[in-house]
Amino acid sequence: MRKFLYFLFVFLWSAETIAAVGCDLNDPDRDVKRFFPDSSGYKTEYVSVAKNGGEELYKQMENRLGDQFNGIYETIDVPYTLYTVLKDAAPIGYIHGVNQKGKYGGMQVFLIMDTKGKIKHLYFQKLTSKNAKELRAPEFGAQFAGLSLTDFDVYDVAARTAMPGSAVAAIQNPAPENTEDFYAALRGTKKNLILLDSFIFHKREAEK
Amino acid sequence: MNLLSLAYKNLQRRKLRSAFTIAGIALSAWVLVTLLGFNKGYEKSLNRDIDNMGFQIVLTAKGCPYEAATLMLKGGTGLRYMPEKLVEEVASAPEVAATTPMLMHAEFDPYKGENGGTVVYLGVDGETYPQMKAYFEFASGQWFSAPEAKEIVLGYEAAELEQREIGDMMLLPGSEEEFLVTGILKRTGTQDDGMIFMPLRTVQNVFNKQNLLTMLGIRLKQGIDSSAFEEKLYQLPDVQVVSMAQVKNTIISLVKSARVIVLSIAAIAFLIAVFGVLNTVLMSVFERYQEIGILKSIGALPKQIFAMIWIETILLCSGGCVAGIVFSYAFAGISEKLIRFFLPFAPNGELIFLSPDLILSAFAAITLTGMLGGILPALRAAHIRPLDAIRSEV
Repeated sequence: MRKFLYFLFVFLWSAETIAAVGCDLNDPDRDVKRFFPDSSGYKTEYVSVAKNGGEELYKQMENRLGDQFNGIYETIDVPYTLYTVLKDAAPIGYIHGVNQKGKYGGMQVFLIMDTKGKIKHLYFQKLTSKNAKELRAPEFGAQFAGLSLTDFDVYDVAARTAMPGSAVAAIQNPAPENTEDFYAALRGTKKNLILLDSFIFHKREAEK
Repeated sequence: MNLLSLAYKNLQRRKLRSAFTIAGIALSAWVLVTLLGFNKGYEKSLNRDIDNMGFQIVLTAKGCPYEAATLMLKGGTGLRYMPEKLVEEVASAPEVAATTPMLMHAEFDPYKGENGGTVVYLGVDGETYPQMKAYFEFASGQWFSAPEAKEIVLGYEAAELEQREIGDMMLLPGSEEEFLVTGILKRTGTQDDGMIFMPLRTVQNVFNKQNLLTMLGIRLKQGIDSSAFEEKLYQLPDVQVVSMAQVKNTIISLVKSARVIVLSIAAIAFLIAVFGVLNTVLMSVFERYQEIGILKSIGALPKQIFAMIWIETILLCSGGCVAGIVFSYAFAGISEKLIRFFLPFAPNGELIFLSPDLILSAFAAITLTGMLGGILPALRAAHIRPLDAIRSEV
């Protein structure tokens, strides 16, 4: 009975609240097939830091990012959409996007991951920049392929520096005159990897 | 022992039966009160939504979509323009209290999504538009500093999507020119939340639409017959008149038709529940045939027996009704979600409005009907002959 009342309270209360803006694929059927041509389907889950660990996880993620979350747009209740790509019911990869503040507008930074936590592709679904063409070029995205959160752990988001010789330090800005959007892309990628680690990879390790 | 406590004790003797009877009444009262609340809430929210548009009449070029959602669906095509000089002509009419010119522009952004997408901009007059939209409040910032300023005001959701704050810069698709974000509006629950507002002159200049408008919002003076004025507007060449009153009336008449059917079903459900009460009380009278006879033989008057049975009916009906009203309040959120799920169009805001007068009238109607239903069993009990009852085998 108590559980029922609790559920009822949450349900009625949630009718009054409006969640922060999330980040979905515009056309998941098309995009999943594009990134994983051999997939047979995908599963969509809606996850948030609030539901997966709350304030404590939020703080941990902020520390790991090495930068403060934007109090207006990177709130604890942002609903993230996680696409688990399947082949014959077995996961073969993940697709997950985050909103990231760019110089001239919001970026939607999607990471296409393998099951081991390595980036297969980087995809800007939305990008407003004077250098949008360069940043969306396959050559720029290819520099992220094979990297994981371990590589990004050595990247200091606030200082905008990576350990010399590291894989992240080797990523070249395709438009050196526009550093803002380049660093925003790196921040969005690291944030996305941290979220994916919390939602999938770390959880999977803990379950083992 | 007074009659009220005697009636209450009688109901307690058959707890399960009394509980089921109350549940039947409660369910039908719940449905009835929720539907009456929906009736009020829907109309109230629809009125508020339409009033929030700020103008009673919108003038557009013939065939021009005047809503951002339609424009997006059409991929930004289909916009038609009216000459700006029309504003003076309409504004000078004695019926008009205020006008506000608008220019909507849809631009293709090749970097939105995989194959590009449409971004809609609304050019508004920084002086007249805010007066029409009096309910607009700024989360931060303010309207434009000048009629030709390279500035942007964002609706709440547009700001969330673009992750913009006051002082940030924005680009228009295909342009290198920077625009300053001067204001972010609070959430309104209307299509304005997703809108990117710019000064009218700026939109005209940037998108090369000098002296052109897509819409003209018109607010009439108090007491003006809007239909008569609309007829007058139809005399203008190549314009279409969109009357908010017409839109509202069409929706309300559609909802009214559906409401008659639903209310009839609720009334039938309620009548079934009342017959359930009648049956329960009648059964209890038959079961207590000897007991009532003994009561009469020791001096109870027929009117006292009548009152005792009648009070039992009233207690059942009023108890069920109170429970139904409590359910209506408690489950209003869920009922609203269900209605929104099934209804093709639902306005923003509270869909189920349970006002005190509605609750009181529902309570009075249900209890009165119950009282009428209780007369028959009460009369049967009052007319029981003591000797027949005592001799009976019941």
